[in-house]
Amino acid sequence: MNTPSFHDVEQLSAYLDGQLSQVEKTRLETRLQSDLVLAATLSDLRQARSILRRTPGRRSPRNFTLTPKMAGIKPPVPRSVPALGWASAVAMVLFVLTLGTNLLGQLSLGANAPMLSAAPMTSEGYGLGGGPPATTQPSTDNSQLLPTPEPNIQAVPEATPPGESRLAQPPAASSTKASSQPVSIWIYIWLGLALILIAGALLIRLASDRAFRRKVGSKRNP
Amino acid sequence: MDEPALIRNAQHGDLDAFNTLVLAYQDIVYNTALRILGDEDLAADASQEAFISAFRALNSYRGGSFRAWLLRTVTNACYDELRRKQRHPTIPLEPETEDGEEMETPRWLADPEGSPEELADKAEVEHAIQHCLENLPTDFRAVVILADIQGLDYTEVASVLKKPLGTIKSRLARARLRLRECLQSFGELLPAAFRLEEERTV
Repeated sequence: MNTPSFHDVEQLSAYLDGQLSQVEKTRLETRLQSDLVLAATLSDLRQARSILRRTPGRRSPRNFTLTPKMAGIKPPVPRSVPALGWASAVAMVLFVLTLGTNLLGQLSLGANAPMLSAAPMTSEGYGLGGGPPATTQPSTDNSQLLPTPEPNIQAVPEATPPGESRLAQPPAASSTKASSQPVSIWIYIWLGLALILIAGALLIRLASDRAFRRKVGSKRNP
Repeated sequence: MDEPALIRNAQHGDLDAFNTLVLAYQDIVYNTALRILGDEDLAADASQEAFISAFRALNSYRGGSFRAWLLRTVTNACYDELRRKQRHPTIPLEPETEDGEEMETPRWLADPEGSPEELADKAEVEHAIQHCLENLPTDFRAVVILADIQGLDYTEVASVLKKPLGTIKSRLARARLRLRECLQSFGELLPAAFRLEEERTV
């Protein structure tokens, strides 16, 4: 009796699993009746297979169900208030408008400033001191027209020689009052609207996230 | 369980449908990973990884045996883990006795059903089988686990491992032959019902 070849073992293994053709099966069965070593090998293989098939199965130590995070699923964007889907964009536009208006207001103030400072120097400067200050009116024509500028200069205190700030401030403040008031009202309105929109969008998003998590949680742990 | 409908829904992103499939297949996936890797924690990690990969690659499933498709995913995850282990071998922190002998790992997850004798028998058989499986080359091990432990037919095993049918047939025969020799070496240690007869009636 010879030890079976690997081809024989392969045939026996396939025979056990019913993988042989009818012809191969009949041929092998004939051989098995006469070849006891082959029959013994078949019995061994059958037993080995039987032991493997009876391998105790284990229960999985935990559930391997996936969370939305594991699966890379993000909670859906809430559709309860569709207009608020644009809230961030609207808020951005309002913010830019606010910023722009503010800047324009400042620029217009800056542009008006020289005119405002120049105008009172001629009108109010005379009123205050009775004549133009020597520093701001260097032209010879004016000095010729006003023969006695000395007393006027002395009337202005030395600590504030330019005299412009003192003279220009009151009219500048009075002229901006009218234009800055509506601007600041609009700034507050727009800022308020932007904040309301952002807060609304955030609140809806948070509520939607919480509802999504609760829904997923209840499905995972019924 | 309407499996095709669940798969379809899962392919459209329905996580609940996919999780229903996970619950149905998690034991077979975990057991396959456990037999290939021989470590409970690694098997659990590989199973979880396999389900995550399966969900992400669900659109590549084109019908056929879903079980085979899932088992392919977990087998690949196990191969990755084995390769990683080869690159970075680690020493397990097993509790030791005063003599430096390794203490038996506590079996927290043992099935509470059955008498203590039955549980001990089961543990012996499991230990013997796992030992013999781990002595097989990885490719042979996967074939025998899928065919003999999980009960897949040759076509399914070929589909899981992406190998020709002839290769599966040949590897299974070799694996069974080696396992027979290994299990014989356990002899009397195996419970009577599992013992391989050493003396054949001639």
